[in-house]
Amino acid sequence: MDKGKLNISNMIIENGPEAKREDSEDLVEQALNKTYWRSFKELYNDPDFKDAVKYEFTKESEEKPDLSKLSGISRRRFLALMSASAALAAAGCSNYKDKGLVIAYNQKPEEVVLGLPNYYASACTGCGSACGILVKTREGRPIKIDGNPDHPVSKGKICTKGQASIMNLYNPERLREPMFNKLQTSWDEANKNIVNELKSASSSGKEIAIITHSVLSPSLKKLLDEFKVTYPTAKIYSYEVFNDTPKQNAWFKSYGKRTIPALQLDKAKVILALESDFLGNELNQIENTRLYSQTRDVMSKNEFSRLYAVEGAVTLTGTNADYRIRLRTDAIEEFVICILNELVNRKKVSAFAADSRVTSVLASYNLNDFAAKYYLDLKSLNQLIEDLTKHQGEGIILAGDKLPESTHIAANLLNEVLGNTKLYSSESENVELMPLSTNDELSALDDNMQKGGVGVVIHFDTNPVFHFSPDYNYAEALKKVHTVVTLTEEISESAELSGYVLPINDPLESWGDFKTRTGFYSLQQPIIAPLYNTRQKEAILLNWKDLEKPYNEKIYNDYIRENWEKNLYPVFGSLAPFNKFWLTILHDGVALVNEKSESAGTFSTGAFAESSRMKAGSDFIVLLQNNNSVGDGRFASNGWLQELPNPITKTVWDNYAALSPQAASEIGVNSNDLVEITLGSKKQTLPVFVQPGLADKVIEISLGYGRTAAGAVGTGVGVNANVLISKAPAITERFYNNAQITKVSGTYEIASTQEHYPIDSDPLLKDIQYKRGIIREGTYEEYKTNPKFLKEKEGRLNLQPINKPPVYESKDYTGYKWGMAIDLNKCTGCGACITACNVENNIPIVGKDQVIVNREMMWIRLDRYYSGTPDAPKTSYQPMLCQHCDYAPCENVCPVVATTHSNDGLNAMAYNRCVGTRYCSNNCPYKVRRFNYFDFRDHFRDSIQYAEPLDLLANPEVTVRSRGIMEKCTFCIQRIMKERQDAIQENRKVIGSNVKTACQEACPAYAIVFGDVNDKESEIAKYREHELAYSVLEEIKVLPNVTYIAKLRNVLEESK
Amino acid sequence: MKKFLLDYGIKVRLPIILFVIIVSFAVTYYVSYAERNGIGYQPEQPIAFSHKMHAGDMNIDCQYCHIGVEKSRVASVPAVNVCMGCHAISRADKPEIQKLTQYYNENKPLPWKRVHRVPDFAYFNHSVHVNKGLACEDCHGEVQNMDTLRGNPFKSIGQVSSFTMGSCLDCHRNAHEKFPNLPNLNRGPENCNACHR
Repeated sequence: MDKGKLNISNMIIENGPEAKREDSEDLVEQALNKTYWRSFKELYNDPDFKDAVKYEFTKESEEKPDLSKLSGISRRRFLALMSASAALAAAGCSNYKDKGLVIAYNQKPEEVVLGLPNYYASACTGCGSACGILVKTREGRPIKIDGNPDHPVSKGKICTKGQASIMNLYNPERLREPMFNKLQTSWDEANKNIVNELKSASSSGKEIAIITHSVLSPSLKKLLDEFKVTYPTAKIYSYEVFNDTPKQNAWFKSYGKRTIPALQLDKAKVILALESDFLGNELNQIENTRLYSQTRDVMSKNEFSRLYAVEGAVTLTGTNADYRIRLRTDAIEEFVICILNELVNRKKVSAFAADSRVTSVLASYNLNDFAAKYYLDLKSLNQLIEDLTKHQGEGIILAGDKLPESTHIAANLLNEVLGNTKLYSSESENVELMPLSTNDELSALDDNMQKGGVGVVIHFDTNPVFHFSPDYNYAEALKKVHTVVTLTEEISESAELSGYVLPINDPLESWGDFKTRTGFYSLQQPIIAPLYNTRQKEAILLNWKDLEKPYNEKIYNDYIRENWEKNLYPVFGSLAPFNKFWLTILHDGVALVNEKSESAGTFSTGAFAESSRMKAGSDFIVLLQNNNSVGDGRFASNGWLQELPNPITKTVWDNYAALSPQAASEIGVNSNDLVEITLGSKKQTLPVFVQPGLADKVIEISLGYGRTAAGAVGTGVGVNANVLISKAPAITERFYNNAQITKVSGTYEIASTQEHYPIDSDPLLKDIQYKRGIIREGTYEEYKTNPKFLKEKEGRLNLQPINKPPVYESKDYTGYKWGMAIDLNKCTGCGACITACNVENNIPIVGKDQVIVNREMMWIRLDRYYSGTPDAPKTSYQPMLCQHCDYAPCENVCPVVATTHSNDGLNAMAYNRCVGTRYCSNNCPYKVRRFNYFDFRDHFRDSIQYAEPLDLLANPEVTVRSRGIMEKCTFCIQRIMKERQDAIQENRKVIGSNVKTACQEACPAYAIVFGDVNDKESEIAKYREHELAYSVLEEIKVLPNVTYIAKLRNVLEESK
Repeated sequence: MKKFLLDYGIKVRLPIILFVIIVSFAVTYYVSYAERNGIGYQPEQPIAFSHKMHAGDMNIDCQYCHIGVEKSRVASVPAVNVCMGCHAISRADKPEIQKLTQYYNENKPLPWKRVHRVPDFAYFNHSVHVNKGLACEDCHGEVQNMDTLRGNPFKSIGQVSSFTMGSCLDCHRNAHEKFPNLPNLNRGPENCNACHR
């Protein structure tokens, strides 16, 4: 054995690192000419980072527990108590053989087979997209949410929030009973009193205000209209913190209507994103990602698209762009007009060149001057202009939702000029059932409240106290309203200030119908009966509208059915009787309908000529951003989302003011220092996070944090940046200029996972540790001229397979063998895979303090590498998970043989055998093993994860791990075993492509492929044979079974 | 004299003591095998249900009641409405059936005592074993003959085989010797994640 170990180390030195060390300088220059860095600490070789590389377990994670925090009970007393309780327990047990009970159903529903899942289609209501979802249930309880494959928009995929929202259903802190002035009351009592208030307000002419989020449901709209008939003084207000209003207004001015057509991004050859995070946090990101990734498919013959991003913030879209142009956000409008001038006045593209109203506006702008003023690289700008001209009608310009109307109009004009309107879908456009309230309308409500003209305010599952701009002084205004009713699932800032707090059903307990686009309706059905004494929010309104009708669980269901039968069913022209039709669409979760969208009108040049221009300043800009975790704050109590690393900064459990390195050094701050941001009279103090790639003088802050009433998990996480919002913003609600920023005393530690589990270890390899080919990239040009270019580089790295090392047991893998391929061309780094894995594999939340000491438990780590300079870094994403190496180094160091290899190529982990030596993690080259330092379910926030009914959330097919156990990705062994079970049942062979891992199922970009690598016809086998396929750390020759497809950047020159 | 005692102690007493310890350990180990592994465990059930009468005398197929066994990981204990499929009419006058009817009418589940159990960290799969041709009796014994074994009608079913990891592997390793009548049977998987995950 010893001899064997000696041999392998010799072999590695002979063939691998030794060979590289000899001509390392050469290789650095020639083969993999890039330095990748993940943080400033790494770039500048900070001692902290060196420690992180050198020591698997950080000093903090190895720290002895703080004795003062332990129980003061003495050892003697503890033993005495233990023996007493053991004696009691022994006396209490009548039969040590007792195995408990088997409780069978009394009347088993026909569709339930114990041990097998059932799936139900429904709709997600986490944001304004209303994506179709498919909910997996076991024995009647929902355990996982995925996209509905039949849904025309989501097509089987769902974002991080949708995936994790299942935890909200089982949140132990959900409200369970109706409350009046913080005392429990009954529904009948509450309803009776509220209806009296509604009647008296209505008869005395006082306003009844219902404040809701965007109304997407036709039946809810009908209900609200009827409610207004019953109570004539009722008014409906709707708001969204993250909305498309400037874009819609611009569309109205340009084309005379507010409904924006869907985009055929998959047909785009050139995409120009102007401060637009269409792949990240803007509405419809799931469809956008799917369509965009289709233009990045190395398996198809189609040309790659080219993505340009012009942005001040650092977004997922920008970091995925081929060309990222760093520009102050308030200069973007000027940039667009310069481009327009270049195209229309110089190149005479399109008929607009003859329109003097357009050309006269454009004439005063010049791209060259502009580029000089903002130090832009003229070469890439010219490249952009050339691409736009070359691909007329095959490009698209997207403007972000933070930009003002005038910029959107300019972007619309640019699309018109280039004939890109061809990419607007003629079949599908967005539908707006009820426009959001304008700021003027909300101000009028506010004034009326202050004057005492409002009798009843109903928060219809909204939280305006937290969301509204401080200009409204909404919390004060609420005090002048006689009756305040909040319908909510969980406690919130608005509920705190309300007389009546009525608990409502979770979306998974609710009925609904949604209309977001032409061509289809989405249906929502309850997956589980209400867990508590809650009612659906629509049913409550319905009940108030007509109190004579007794309440039952079905009243809103009946209402929707009736609405459909009378109003919508005739539109479908279905041959099936209504009952059958209704059950069919409920089953499918979606109802397709033949609808023509109105054709877009002609572009009104007047809109462009007359719109006011955004002036670029030189002061600090504040951008208030959406995020992929807590949204506008409504997911604050969801620990999975709070702990999901931000895709770019990798921070968890916090928001912060992101500053560029230049700006930070000007103010004299570093990450974790506190700054005060002043916008006029508004102030907020936040910690700084220095973000490479941010435009200078741009401050990026995420909204949705700083909740003060969000339960044990969400309260006090981050800082509330809503207080910076103005009700009459100069530009838009989430984009301000003329901000002041000053350093204030104190620091605040932000938890970030970006340096955790770094893959480099050997100090001998110091000089080339960043060049080990963990990330391999090339350009699309290179690939087209020589598809084998990557392998040829590899050859020079001497990566020939070695003979089988003698310490490993021989396996021939004659049957099926599992493997995964991750296409880095498609992966955008969104993090949907991480959340899906968390839900599927019962991964606990550990809390911020534990993340700081390197103990996060997520099985997939989405590595983000920067290369180049801190000002304009290039970004590479790489999901890193257990590689299931054929010669797995973890296996032969385990002293208790808890981790072994199976005949189908899996690296298995037997939890019940593990004693927690952590040798395996120490020996893992990829650092993908996770150790349970605590029973984290018990350790986090007074063991809230063990509180009822959160235990119902656990996937019954996966063990819930306890303290002292090592764990890691299993390639979803439970799903593999299910396929094996099905194969045996159907008397066939195991088909690799039938197994879909949770991450694969969730990936909106279809970047993950899984299957049987011995099946040569399968997709996975083709990916493994692909010219761009590589595995990470090939030179150590452990033969990993996760194959990465090298990223190709569609840039012209060789990227340096 | 001292030397003699020492000699006596080492040469005679010690071997006797060791012999007694080893023999009693071996005997206890052997005798307690069934006890330790739960063989013969026969808890008192809430209803005096006889497998002998149903599966033996009347020859009702196991899967008539245990419907999950071919499709799912768990065989599943029948719901009360399955019993009532026959007993709404058949033998409705017997006291045990009336007890059953009462559960059904009150919509209460029947609290059967669990007889067979594998630990939580082991994921046994009925479906793959049954679909490979293994009979229920191979693990559960001759259930069709189990009836009031000790004169107590409430103790009608018991465990006959050991359900330890050793017993699992015994079949998995020696599938062909154990089941010569199933020539197409493969050797059972022995990798950890076949059962542990």
